[in-house]
Amino acid sequence: MFSRTRYVFRETFDSFRRNATLTIASIITAAISLLGVGLTLLSQEGFDNLLSKWEGGVEMIIFMRPDVTDDQRALIESSLDQNNQFIESWTYCDVDCSLAERDRVLAAEPGVKDLLNADNIPTQYKAVPTEATDVQLLRQVSEAFSEGPGVFEVVFAEDQISLIEQLQSFFGFRLFLLSGFLLLAAILLIWNTIRTAIFARRREIEVMKLVGATDWFIRVPFMLEGLLHGVIGGALASLGLGIWNSQWTSGVQGFPPNSGFASLVVTSGYDKTVMLYMLIIGAVAGAIGSGIAASRFLDV
Amino acid sequence: MIRLENVTKSYSTEIVAVKDASFDVAKGEFVFLVGPSGSGKSTLLRMLNRQDRPERGAVWVAGRNIVDLPSGRIPMLRRNIGNIFQDYKLLLEKNVFENVAFAQEVIGRPQHVIRQQVPAVLDLVGLAGKEERLPNQLSGGEQQRVSIARAFVNRPLILLADEPTGNLDPATGEGIMRLLDRINKTGTTIVMATHDQRIVNTMRKRVIQLDRGIIVRDQARGVYE
Repeated sequence: MFSRTRYVFRETFDSFRRNATLTIASIITAAISLLGVGLTLLSQEGFDNLLSKWEGGVEMIIFMRPDVTDDQRALIESSLDQNNQFIESWTYCDVDCSLAERDRVLAAEPGVKDLLNADNIPTQYKAVPTEATDVQLLRQVSEAFSEGPGVFEVVFAEDQISLIEQLQSFFGFRLFLLSGFLLLAAILLIWNTIRTAIFARRREIEVMKLVGATDWFIRVPFMLEGLLHGVIGGALASLGLGIWNSQWTSGVQGFPPNSGFASLVVTSGYDKTVMLYMLIIGAVAGAIGSGIAASRFLDV
Repeated sequence: MIRLENVTKSYSTEIVAVKDASFDVAKGEFVFLVGPSGSGKSTLLRMLNRQDRPERGAVWVAGRNIVDLPSGRIPMLRRNIGNIFQDYKLLLEKNVFENVAFAQEVIGRPQHVIRQQVPAVLDLVGLAGKEERLPNQLSGGEQQRVSIARAFVNRPLILLADEPTGNLDPATGEGIMRLLDRINKTGTTIVMATHDQRIVNTMRKRVIQLDRGIIVRDQARGVYE
């Protein structure tokens, strides 16, 4: 058993050495394609983060005119309470609260920020509707409130949610497609590398067959070789993904607050899960490519 | 040990390599297959280790008809058959020891057995002390001895030799034949295809002559005609 294991590893690494250029090409292709797969999974998770932020507490915001009276506010508050089948909860953001928000949201735009002061800044009612994702319902509720007394404007997250979903679908599908093609290219390259390795060692294989080696005994080093291509590719892709995610995380910290990009940072440990997926997908891709080649071209 | 019953093998409708061949080879026998190029000698050898299958007839090896042997059982058959070739088929990047050990490794022999048996067989073929040499550092005769050592190291019941002296000068060829004769005396059955008239006439073993795939002569202690 030990003798056989030693033989398998020796032959595998021997083949690595003999086909160094093709082996490196195959590993790099596998790494790039797996990185594509990893980035697709990570970006999907980022978009999900972004969406879940809105889905968890989508706020319809009723901006009041700066000169709103107490009576007008009481009427709006009464309407919010009466519409409890649509409005789950609400909070009032007064002048101080609105100024604090101005400082946060417009930090990167000092010119605009300075135009808003205690005298002209609209105060806000932030409402959490009961059916946050029902766009039609939100639209009806917002229209009703926009005609209320003292109301300046009603905004809600519908457009942003649609945009995020559109972006998610656009990037997700195309990245997935690209990753699929790259993965196929990686499998084909591993397949071709193993085929070349088999061809380069056809004399040995002939001798092995004539002295009574079983097909599996001959096949295993080649299959292990392909598996290693995939696993090493997956490990390199994991490393690349780790670097990318760390760069992205630190890069986003420099973006303006509430720009939305912060939600695209994946720090929940999901990145580690994706790395594990990449290793597994790499191993499977390598095993498929080499398995097919070793079965098909062994008859030398 | 070997029995062929009405064996026919063709490569196309026009080319019949072996036609209706029948013969028996007893255990420990030494048989020469002679005949001109294309007479079917190599095809016969290839059918004995199941590299080829006949269209018709039966090929019995060690008591078993191997024509319909499942592919999974072929390696077991081949472990009982050693093969020697005109072009040696040595692995050029492996040294003498490794070339011989390879035949044991691939059938899963443990290292301690390999370390014991390979030097013994190298000694038998007269290559003791040359274990570290690569094939291109050996003469043709020495390379053929490595090939014989590799074929014999697993102690097969049968040795199939396809023109083993074809690339060697007469003196070296004689040395190889003396070695094969010694191996034959250990009880190993040897079937050897050859063109070498001098060797056949000197050895005076059984001769099966083929002509265009047909056995035209089967003579004990025969000579080349």
